[in-house]
Amino acid sequence: MTDELPPRATAHDFVRPFVITGGRTRATDTSLRMETMVQTVGTPRDDLSFEKARIVDYSYEPVSIAEIAAELSVPLGVAMVLVDDLVEDRCLETTYSDPVEIELSALTRMIERVRAL
Amino acid sequence: MSGPFEWTGGAGTASAPRARKVTSVKLVVAGGFGVGKTTFVSAVSEIPPLTTEAAMTTESKDVDDTTLVNKKVTTTVAMDFGRITVDDSLVMYLFGTPGQERFAFMWDDLCDGALGAVVLADTRRLADSFVALDYFEARNTPFVVGVNHFVGSYHYPIPEVREALGVSDQIPVVDCDARDRESVKVALVTLLQHVYEIRRTALAR
Repeated sequence: MTDELPPRATAHDFVRPFVITGGRTRATDTSLRMETMVQTVGTPRDDLSFEKARIVDYSYEPVSIAEIAAELSVPLGVAMVLVDDLVEDRCLETTYSDPVEIELSALTRMIERVRAL
Repeated sequence: MSGPFEWTGGAGTASAPRARKVTSVKLVVAGGFGVGKTTFVSAVSEIPPLTTEAAMTTESKDVDDTTLVNKKVTTTVAMDFGRITVDDSLVMYLFGTPGQERFAFMWDDLCDGALGAVVLADTRRLADSFVALDYFEARNTPFVVGVNHFVGSYHYPIPEVREALGVSDQIPVVDCDARDRESVKVALVTLLQHVYEIRRTALAR
């Protein structure tokens, strides 16, 4: 009889990922990317949600949004919305990076770094 | 308002230090399912590859909802990525694309802003890399091809692989064993040099 039960997670184990963001799936700032660097700035606040406080804690050293998503075990889209909120609240700063603006000297540094690995 | 600790105004006086500007660069590792993308990333990453998931809750274009039951499918697509710190102002991220072709819609988010890509090709199933080749060619994303040789598979010469893949002479094609760090480094350096040449040529115009 038990063979008939499909091997799947029970519904109770699953929290819809965008619950944390109040259902929002897109960040207002569309320039945010998974590799965008984020860093905590300003005075720590005590009125942040659990997830946002974790992001602020985690980002004292510059990290990417992808790393934040991995650290919090949330989907990328969730991390982006939360980061977007925190930037708005002046808890985080982002560094905008456009590959077109990468200079030849930066490419040279990258090549040398990879060679030295 | 006197003494050394007077309010100077503006940002930078808060308790956390001013953000130091760290720029990031994204490189994409693409190719068919099981071609060694995660292995490639882990060969050079300074951290064990991390996994991030993109949840697909709103995109349901492919689903023709003819049923009356409101059954929302939540698909998650896992992407592995690694990190190489170049110096204190520049970080490189290596992202592996989700393998299966049916996740190709994810690639726009993944490849938007990418500096370049390594397309891994397995000589036993070259056709698996066609989707990635087409994609980067169409987007004008600089890419190189890494030919992953598996133990026991016939070692095809590079010109033969190049012909079979149908890539132009301008695209570098190199042998690449994803398990071997030196080999992965060569593929990455080849990509970065390729990007460098494209940039240099563009600047000279």
